[in-house]
Amino acid sequence: MPETGRRLAAAAAVLVLAAVPLAVRDEYYLHLCIVAGVFVIAVLGLDLIVGYVGQLSLAHAAFFALGAYTSGLLFVRAKWSMWLGLPAAAIATGLIAFVLGSVILRTRGHRFIIITVVFAELMKLVATNWIDMTRGFMGLPGLQIPALYVPGIGAIDLAAKGRFYYVVLAAAIVAFVVCRSIVRSSIGRKFILIRENEPLAESLGISAFRYAMIAFVVGAALAGAAGSLYAHYVGFVSPDLFNFSYVTIMLIMVILGGKGTLAGPALGAVIFTFLPELLREASHWRMIIFATILIVATLFMPRGIVFPLVEHLLPARWRTRDAGAA
Amino acid sequence: MQALKLFAAAALLALAPLAVAQETVRIGVVQPTTGPVAYDGNIYVNTVKMIVDDMNAKGGVLGKKIELLVEDGACNPAQSVNAAEKLVTRDKVVALLGAFCSTSTAAMMEVAKKHKVPHITGISTAAQLTEQGNPYFFRAVATTPMLGNAFGGVLPAAVKAKRFAFLVLNDDWGRSMAASYPKSIENAGGQIVATEFFQQSDLQFLSQITKVKAANPDAIVLAANTQQAAALSKQIRDLGVTVPLIGEGSWTSDSYLKLAGPASDGVYGLVEYVYTIKNPINDTFVKEFQAKLKENPTKFAGAAHNAIHIMVDAIKRAGAADPEKIRVALEKTDYNGLVGNIKFDDKHQAYGQTVYLAHVKGGVPEVVATAKIAKP
Amino acid sequence: MSASATILAQHLLNGVLIGCAYALIAMGLTMIFGVMNIANFAHGEFYMLGGFLAFYLVSLMGLGYFLALPAAVALVVALAIVLQHGIFRRLRDAPMMTTTLVTIGLSLFLEHVALLMWGPQPQSIPTPFPTTPLSFLGIYTTPLYLFCMAVTAALIVAGHLVIRKTKMGKAMRATFQNKEASALVGIRIDRVYMYAFAFGAALAAAAGAVLGGFIPVEPTTGGVVTLKAFVVVILGGMGSFVGAIVGGLVLGIAEALGAGYMPTGWKDAIGFFAVVLVLLFRPEGLFRRA
Repeated sequence: MPETGRRLAAAAAVLVLAAVPLAVRDEYYLHLCIVAGVFVIAVLGLDLIVGYVGQLSLAHAAFFALGAYTSGLLFVRAKWSMWLGLPAAAIATGLIAFVLGSVILRTRGHRFIIITVVFAELMKLVATNWIDMTRGFMGLPGLQIPALYVPGIGAIDLAAKGRFYYVVLAAAIVAFVVCRSIVRSSIGRKFILIRENEPLAESLGISAFRYAMIAFVVGAALAGAAGSLYAHYVGFVSPDLFNFSYVTIMLIMVILGGKGTLAGPALGAVIFTFLPELLREASHWRMIIFATILIVATLFMPRGIVFPLVEHLLPARWRTRDAGAA
Repeated sequence: MQALKLFAAAALLALAPLAVAQETVRIGVVQPTTGPVAYDGNIYVNTVKMIVDDMNAKGGVLGKKIELLVEDGACNPAQSVNAAEKLVTRDKVVALLGAFCSTSTAAMMEVAKKHKVPHITGISTAAQLTEQGNPYFFRAVATTPMLGNAFGGVLPAAVKAKRFAFLVLNDDWGRSMAASYPKSIENAGGQIVATEFFQQSDLQFLSQITKVKAANPDAIVLAANTQQAAALSKQIRDLGVTVPLIGEGSWTSDSYLKLAGPASDGVYGLVEYVYTIKNPINDTFVKEFQAKLKENPTKFAGAAHNAIHIMVDAIKRAGAADPEKIRVALEKTDYNGLVGNIKFDDKHQAYGQTVYLAHVKGGVPEVVATAKIAKP
Repeated sequence: MSASATILAQHLLNGVLIGCAYALIAMGLTMIFGVMNIANFAHGEFYMLGGFLAFYLVSLMGLGYFLALPAAVALVVALAIVLQHGIFRRLRDAPMMTTTLVTIGLSLFLEHVALLMWGPQPQSIPTPFPTTPLSFLGIYTTPLYLFCMAVTAALIVAGHLVIRKTKMGKAMRATFQNKEASALVGIRIDRVYMYAFAFGAALAAAAGAVLGGFIPVEPTTGGVVTLKAFVVVILGGMGSFVGAIVGGLVLGIAEALGAGYMPTGWKDAIGFFAVVLVLLFRPEGLFRRA
């Protein structure tokens, strides 16, 4: 699609998304929309490292949980509202990712993957056992969505789902724009070069370590921000957020949505937030089906499910062959 | 095409609630029907269903049938929140029961507070749940510290021991046990000689048991549920420790007794309910449970019995299926049931009920001592 | 023996029991990783299936204990062969992300199928051993624990011998070192892969079947086991069999001693801290790729 066509489509998408709370009155669906929005932010971050740089990091859910804990702890212990907590969570998570990355990003291969798993477990252990700080399994309760102070109007209460939706939507749009600018810039091109041919990149003087670090830190910061939003929305933070199930669902969202694109994982996040809820009754079968889809898609559908499906439905003129950017 | 089908399914689901008017009194239940504690969660759900069927056969409440809506919380806070949100916003329940694990209940009670729906837990014992000032949350079970106060003093004489060791789960439950029982045990002449912890994910406890054994206790007090309780019982006996075991958790349920086998003989359980309790309400309950669900009711069944009865009793006294009125009626609860009289204090903590020390002999947990939960 | 020496000895014995199990499981994982270059996230599920199938055969089908154990392992081997033929054979030259995602999906799949078939109830395998403990100089153990140690040790030795002495073992080591060259000299890579995967799964399943007598199994047990196996493999060096064996024993003993003399809440952290130390100071692991 030509550039202006894309811009129009993007603008239309934003308008449609903004109109959702007006059309959808059902609180439960709004709830799912909000949760989906949070996951969109988190998986966009995951896609940077998994899709664009091509490293399978399984620490991402841990960054999400760390963001939730940072924001939660600042709220419960220092009374920081989400407006401060969210950036703090993003920065803190980014810093942790920076430290972790400096140690492990030079490793390649399976050791990298396994070490990210071990890191996540270690973080869970800390969250569970450092009771004085995190209250362990008792968790951090009572988190709240803050009000927005607009000069001249006063405080706008954002706790209602219809209103908090806009906060999440705004954050998701910001995350999308940030990712898009990175991906479209020379940094993004270097990501792809490293993914496709690392020795060539190195020979051209492009440090795989440095660029992987960028993706890792930015991705983690996004996950941390998402975690903060999630924590304040749900109102409660506990070590369960470190469970491996969050990793698998995020991976499913990215891989099946279409890694290496931006719209893919975003759509994946929406679909795989709604799908489990719609399939509530069939609980075990649901996971068996997801697992099967994951295996099949990994084997046979490297572009994920979403894009091939959408393209199948779109008229031929609009189809795009370009899988490198969204 | 998949997208179209999904959309159709979603649309149908969205319209469904409109088709049902409020001809019934809707009560929502969030329990782990999948996940690590699914077995016990399903017992709770089946018990509530059985009791509600009985109530509906007798005319329901306020002249309407009770409609039970059950959602799976899987003992996962995020999922329990989703489940509660669904029950309140889509299914329009007027009351909530759940969510079994303390962290899930803690997450769920925020939903209850937000939507102003009364919420009872019959199982979650984390102390801080009633310390949050949430006016919609009620706890119908004694907390570990309350059990400790009630029973601690009885233990030295009941098990004929002086030196007590604690081997407990490393979470708020186990830790509060290790913190609250010692005082009353010491007042009765006992002595605490060791305290060791294990994690939720631990499957072998040989190190901790060795440490406890080294302190030479006359009795070991434990906090654990079925799987870990069975493994602990076996491994404790394997390492040559023969002293009596006193457990909070699932130490008297059929599933524990089966899993632990001979290692369960002689175990003491500190329970809010056990099927061998002798009173008319329990006799009827046990008979019906054995007939319909083919096993003996566990403490989670007892908890379910209490929770649903207290809620329905409040609905009756409220005179209307109105969440706010039900909440007010709950505060004035003075319920006589399965385990005696239950009232709520101003933090909505239940007190006044009887609790039991059961001793397992030949696979049957007989009640050997009782105590009453004092007002906190 | 003095009281504290007895306690130390008891901790050591506990550590060896668990360490042998860790070593056996990690050896299977290393075999799959070394030969096929696949990080098997479903490894713990093989352990779990070994345990559950053994329970099923003993309790519900009445098979004798000593027959049920190898039968359970055989069933898991059959499953592994099917998986290798159906899925992993296509992934021979696939990138690491693909194979890892597939094993993650497989792990989820097996866990939930087990949940569907057997429910979430934990099960313990009934054993024919007497339950009274044996004691020697104040150190306690049971016939079952001794059996576990004997079987795991025997399997470790057997595994080592297979790799060192048999033709297939040599083929595996060759493939391990240089896949292309091995193919060129006529080694049938697909068969080697099948043997490696089956053998790796067998070791994990054997551990599950044997330990299931005193550690109850449930469908979600796989995740914890996989994690422990990975920790051992990182410590010992990925692709080193000796590393897996030594790493497993060292971790088991270190955890037992650590828990014995430190606050027990942090027992699991010992493994993780060891991983951090290894990463910082000796990233290849204690033993390099053998």
